[in-house]
Amino acid sequence: MLENFSFRTIVEYLPLFGQGLVTTVWLSVLSFAGALAVGIVLAAMNLQRGRLFRIPAKAYIDAVRATPLLAQLYFLYFGLPRLGIILPELVVGILALSLNSGAYVAEIIRAGILSIPRGQVEAGVASGMTYVQRMRLVILPQAFKVTIPPLLGQAIVLVKDSALLSLIAVAELTRAGQLLASDRFMPAEGFITIAAFYLLLYYGLKGLAALSERRLGLAGART
Amino acid sequence: MTSNRSKNGTGMIEFRGVNKWFGTLNVLKDITLSVEPREVVVVCGPSGSGKSTLIRCINGLETIRDGDLVVDGQRLGDPATNMTRLRTEIGFVFQSFNLYPHKTALENVTLAPIHVRKIPRTEAEKAGRELLAKVGLADKVNAYPAQLSGGQQQRVAIARCLGMRPKIMLFDEPTSALDPEMISEVLDVMVAVAEEGMTMMVVTHEMGFARKVAQRVVFMDAGAIVESGTPDEFFSHPKTDRSRAFLSKILRH
Repeated sequence: MLENFSFRTIVEYLPLFGQGLVTTVWLSVLSFAGALAVGIVLAAMNLQRGRLFRIPAKAYIDAVRATPLLAQLYFLYFGLPRLGIILPELVVGILALSLNSGAYVAEIIRAGILSIPRGQVEAGVASGMTYVQRMRLVILPQAFKVTIPPLLGQAIVLVKDSALLSLIAVAELTRAGQLLASDRFMPAEGFITIAAFYLLLYYGLKGLAALSERRLGLAGART
Repeated sequence: MTSNRSKNGTGMIEFRGVNKWFGTLNVLKDITLSVEPREVVVVCGPSGSGKSTLIRCINGLETIRDGDLVVDGQRLGDPATNMTRLRTEIGFVFQSFNLYPHKTALENVTLAPIHVRKIPRTEAEKAGRELLAKVGLADKVNAYPAQLSGGQQQRVAIARCLGMRPKIMLFDEPTSALDPEMISEVLDVMVAVAEEGMTMMVVTHEMGFARKVAQRVVFMDAGAIVESGTPDEFFSHPKTDRSRAFLSKILRH
């Protein structure tokens, strides 16, 4: 079987894979930044006492978590033009990933904030801090440390989800594999190569997670 | 409508007919109590008697249902009272310390002075170092709470309150979470604060502390003030069955 496996073709297509990898990386970075923005706003809404903000946030999070990402992607890709909004595929892709991942990020951030003991809030209140000061000086710095590992986990999921953008013709990593598969009828070579690249990205992010956990060790220790 | 100023003008903390409910449970029953400037009042009573709730009302960690609570001349719940501002005048020491785990001892002490009182950083740090030295922790300035013992943490917490230069200090069972050998180091600091003339309300069962610095002991049971008197009166000649029963339990050993 292996004698049919063409390493030469892989090498020949390496520049294409390289471009795909670069595209996957930067569209993931942009999407994750978008997801953080969406997530912070949703988490803030979800933590309010009033229903006015909480209910729309919860409805959004549920809607995103209950439906497949592919359906959401198609909804934006085919639905937005019907509403007169025409965007490049790449923009639609980044938008879909941001909106989708944002819902999960919102829950991670909310859980991080709620994990800070009530006594921390009370200590801030008792020393005359305003809500904003408490959040900025006491709660968020502690929540941030708790949140980093699950956020990096979510980033790994996002990188893998970005493969779906190949279905709307974004020239990312999976698309490169598809091209090799269809041009030369070499699906094994094409998809094994992209798998190796995804593995590389995975270990990169995992290393980052481990590093951040070690860096945040002492100062984050609970009493 | 009651005026925003204290009526007789002398009480630093004045409860007048204060009631509070948790659901259907009447946790504070018709509390009337006045604490004078520089006075040290010890509050004791069985678990669940409402003593913690009582002092938590003073800085608004709990809200009252009816009655008047006037602190430093300002009536709580009055639209004219700026609660955030009033809290800067009231130090609160928690049973569980509640130090900020991501900040060093010095940062714990200087955080509110810098951000709330708007004191310049260098000045706040100088004052912070002095306060930590005063509570015997000059060598722990850069330690994180997790690196300190319970007694040390509670002393940092007291220094953190003093850093705001408060007019009133409230202590909610400050030694209850401590190992026995650490209790006296915290009480010593509290005695020193009391001797400097701080107005204090202290929820504690530490009789030695009460005898040494308190002008008055208030005994609470089931949400009401049952008895109040000087430490000598209270400990030697309790007037009610309930206070006698309580004292016999805590003094048995």
